[in-house]
Amino acid sequence: MKQIEYRKILAAVNEHVNSEISARFAIQLAKEAGCGLCLCFVAEKNLPEDSLRLAEEAANRLFHRAKQLDVPVEIILAHGDPVDEIQKLVSSENIDIVFAATRHEDIEKRFFQGTTARRLSLSLSCSVALVRVVHMGRIHPGKILVPLKAGIRRIQEKAYITSMLARSFDSGVYLLHSTRPLMRFFHGELHLTPDEWETKIPKDISDFINCLDEYGIAHEKKLLPGKTGRNITIEAAARRHDLIIMGASERGLLNSIFKGNPVEEVLRDTPCNLIILKLRHEDT
Amino acid sequence: MKIHNLAKDAVFQTLVTAENGLSEAEAAKRLSEFGLNEIKEVRKTPLSLRFLKQFTHFLAILLFIGAGLSFLSDYLHPGEGMFSLGVAIVGVIIINALFTFIQEYKAEKTVEKLRQFLPFSIRTIRDGKEKEIPSKDVVPGDIILLSEGIKVPADSRLIEASYLMVNNAPLTGESESVLLNVEPSEGELIESKNIAFAGATVISGTGKAVVFASGMRTEFGRIAHLTSAVESGLSPLQKEIVKATRVVAAIAASVGIIFFCLGLITGRNFWDNFIFTIGITVALIPEGMLPTVTLALAMGSQRMAKRKALIKTLTSVETLGSVTVICTDKTGTLTQNKMDVRKVSTEGQILAADNLKSLGNHPIMKTALLCNNARFVDGLYTGDPTEIALLNVAQAHTENISAARVFEIPFDSDRKRMVTVNVADGKTCAYAKGAIEVLLPLCTQVGGDNGIVPLDEDQRTKAVDTCHALMDEGLRVLAFAYKEIDSFDVKTPDPAEVETGLVFAGLIGLEDPPRPEVRDAIQKCNEAGIKVIMITGDGSRTAIAIAREIGLTKDTPVVIEGVNFEQMDDAELKKSLAQREVIFARMAPKHKMRVVAALQEEGEVVAVTGDGVNDAPALKKADIGIAMGISGTDVAKEASDMVLLDDNFATIVIAVEEGRAVYENIKKFITYIFASNIPEAIPYLAYILLNIPLPLTILQILAVDLGTDMLPALALGAEKPTPGIMKQPPRRRGERLLNFGLLTRAYLFLGPLEAVACMFGFFWVLHQGGWLWGEIPKPNSILYLQATTACLTAIVLTQIANVFACRSFSESVVSPGFFSNKLIFAGIAFELLLQLLIVYTPWGNRIFSTAPLSISVWGMLIPFMFLLLFADETRKLLYRSRRAKTG
Repeated sequence: MKQIEYRKILAAVNEHVNSEISARFAIQLAKEAGCGLCLCFVAEKNLPEDSLRLAEEAANRLFHRAKQLDVPVEIILAHGDPVDEIQKLVSSENIDIVFAATRHEDIEKRFFQGTTARRLSLSLSCSVALVRVVHMGRIHPGKILVPLKAGIRRIQEKAYITSMLARSFDSGVYLLHSTRPLMRFFHGELHLTPDEWETKIPKDISDFINCLDEYGIAHEKKLLPGKTGRNITIEAAARRHDLIIMGASERGLLNSIFKGNPVEEVLRDTPCNLIILKLRHEDT
Repeated sequence: MKIHNLAKDAVFQTLVTAENGLSEAEAAKRLSEFGLNEIKEVRKTPLSLRFLKQFTHFLAILLFIGAGLSFLSDYLHPGEGMFSLGVAIVGVIIINALFTFIQEYKAEKTVEKLRQFLPFSIRTIRDGKEKEIPSKDVVPGDIILLSEGIKVPADSRLIEASYLMVNNAPLTGESESVLLNVEPSEGELIESKNIAFAGATVISGTGKAVVFASGMRTEFGRIAHLTSAVESGLSPLQKEIVKATRVVAAIAASVGIIFFCLGLITGRNFWDNFIFTIGITVALIPEGMLPTVTLALAMGSQRMAKRKALIKTLTSVETLGSVTVICTDKTGTLTQNKMDVRKVSTEGQILAADNLKSLGNHPIMKTALLCNNARFVDGLYTGDPTEIALLNVAQAHTENISAARVFEIPFDSDRKRMVTVNVADGKTCAYAKGAIEVLLPLCTQVGGDNGIVPLDEDQRTKAVDTCHALMDEGLRVLAFAYKEIDSFDVKTPDPAEVETGLVFAGLIGLEDPPRPEVRDAIQKCNEAGIKVIMITGDGSRTAIAIAREIGLTKDTPVVIEGVNFEQMDDAELKKSLAQREVIFARMAPKHKMRVVAALQEEGEVVAVTGDGVNDAPALKKADIGIAMGISGTDVAKEASDMVLLDDNFATIVIAVEEGRAVYENIKKFITYIFASNIPEAIPYLAYILLNIPLPLTILQILAVDLGTDMLPALALGAEKPTPGIMKQPPRRRGERLLNFGLLTRAYLFLGPLEAVACMFGFFWVLHQGGWLWGEIPKPNSILYLQATTACLTAIVLTQIANVFACRSFSESVVSPGFFSNKLIFAGIAFELLLQLLIVYTPWGNRIFSTAPLSISVWGMLIPFMFLLLFADETRKLLYRSRRAKTG
């Protein structure tokens, strides 16, 4: 397998504390992946002086932190629309992945208004990691929960990021596949024990596990029938996971309204910090 | 690295804050990002959608189709009563939906109760100034000030602490206070001593802390999250009803199609044929089944309430009957939670509690008296049960002891000891009590015949052996020690100085006696194939001893202690849980949910008991969460499905027995209801195949299904548990409510007998009126109306016999005691009264197209009741003899 390798990571920083915490994940990833880091602050028009100062302070703190960890780092200050400017930087700097923090408004407005985070994940040509920070005491995750669905796209890149973050924080990785219960018309819902479910694990998940094995990441796995979003948040709360890493939703608006949207549910109710990955590196 | 691992500066750096606290502007920003610091309910399906869902399940859709077809038939072929049928079916759907919704809708108050644990306001430092703010405005990074009496608003890392003791009972279930400090610590965050958790109360001291998690992201919010997010899912009965509905739908649709084809073959007009196909299909749908099931469950819950088991959700009544594992607390549930001193060991001898005269004013008694927070006021003891027992025995064996307490280090579950310093007659003494493993190492001397001598290794080993021997008797053992202090400065006490060089005074063994009825209840569980798992905070020796005493264990049980439990992966845990006898010792309530989940994943139906706030997620997760009515918190009660009004394990077993009886009873009245579907369907078959007048109208079918059958069916739902019900194993997961035996008995045995009776009644009346084969009387002719009335009356009469037959599948009608269920007679009286009103009143005649019958017709039909009873008694006799032969 040809392994994915990142060369440069961009972390978007602003005056909000969650962007600083989100960038810390980027620093750890850069350290483990041995790649460069670009801390980027885009000042929008009419940004108050105070916010500008806070953002600069955050960027400076992050810069020193990255330096302490021997991560090649640079700070880029730009003016204009954050999405446009980051888009330009992604092209000019050959960025592999952008780390950006989601805002509280992303939870409520996600489908109805293009929030910055959503615009970033849709418009950038590189991969995007949207970080939702809800717990400031768990920023060095000891336990990472990775929910997996049947059709995983860009398995190698997802395994790469998971492995790098797990290795960087020395975290345990817990894979969770939540699926619909098995039904028969006259029997209703069939109860399967975990061992029986094991035989029904989809191929994509097996491939993902193989990738983790190749990176030497130990992991536990669990298969739970039921509502996906609800199962993920319950598992994270029950087992006190520190971080959830999951793929971005591929469901459209109508589909989400009728079938629900697990990613949205997790984003809204996550008991721990969350990284949503919109990946672009195709599997080899 | 987590927040509790970090030193103060790193904490500030991580949380992007400082000693001066956040600025108001930054706090506002964080508030908009992290949200209010409050406990919220996880978003659930809106109430309106939950109500609409009652109209979209399979049976409702089936009935809607039936109603739609009825309206269509009426439109195409008016005057056949199909419109009334359609209206009646829609009525049934609405009643069913309302019934189910009302019983399912329960105002969720768990989160509301949890909210009460958080304070309204808190002192913080913002912009370098101290100010009081509403606790809901607290954000990560805020510096909060803690002092005696206040409640902690959010999870916070301590940066300053002066003798800061907090009570974490809402989180940990431990009633003892915990002494906090500011030192970075290893291990789990939840066990860290430098964290003040939301919901905890400051008992004493002062401190300053930085908030790192607020609202639903606190540990307290985690409990709320788990409690409100965990959905119970369908109960075993609800699942069975879904399956039964599908079976009934398949049968009704198949029969309808067959009849339609038969009609076409026999050359009937298409629309006539279509209308009667709908009629026969609707006749086979048991419209009255769901309301009857709901009412039977309601009656079951009332019976349980009389036996001190308060059921909160109706379906739990039956779920109790299918329980395969009960996970139970020990203290207060299996035992009486009334501590008594049983043995005292001092100076090498063990004395029974009734032989302590020689210990008058002995140091062990002085220590038990003075190192004690229980009180005896106005003839009443107040305080912890263990301390009350110690105070009681110490008061009886000490005289003229009065000493002022000048210092105390309260009991703490980590230090496992309590220490006081008292002054009497100018002498200052330290008194300590606690677990032997922590107190003995602090002792350097021991009292004996030769006064106080150094404590050697032999004496230490002997003390530990004695302790183990007492624990093996099921006693909770405490060690006692004391020492005289030369000088003690109350203003600057040094705990380390007080706790070293103690004189070992001895051991006291206390017993929490098992409840007398528990042994029988455990025996019943064993016979009923229900596994009982004890989950206790006590040590394994005490747990095993109690388990043996109450008959919970006979062999060598698998004992899992809390520390090992946390290290086990799921596979190991499940392997251990599969063993016959399992005991969990030194467990905390937080562990329960994992035990429940592991058992459920293995297909078990789990009941779990709990009383604390942090038991709530496990109570919600279990198939049956059982809260303690006396000792339970409001949160536990809200999260549970059943509340034990007497906190007694035996009551759970009684409730299980009732639950099993309810399931048996549901099978009984389903047999009863389904049997009447055949005499409702056969007239249609005869009508199509034999080209005769229709013997039974649609509204007459409804008169049976939603009228005369209802109360006798309900009476069957009130049958008492049969004696052998707790000697059978729990219902197998794959076992069907509508099994082959039930369906064949209802459809191929009892139903056809009733069909013979109703067709006989119809033809006999026609024949008496001079009817000749092939004639089609006018629909409103008296003869025809009387004939259909005879058909209906035959069904009603044979259903009266059927209700007695259905009281048992295999036992004779007299074996449960003919008059043991008085509701049966009330139901029959109602059934007869309704039938008389239908037959002999003008409105009954008008609505149901009936006509009064002569007494001779009744006389011709009554023998069929006895025929049905006789036939079923013969079947039961054959069944019993066959069962006896096959063993």
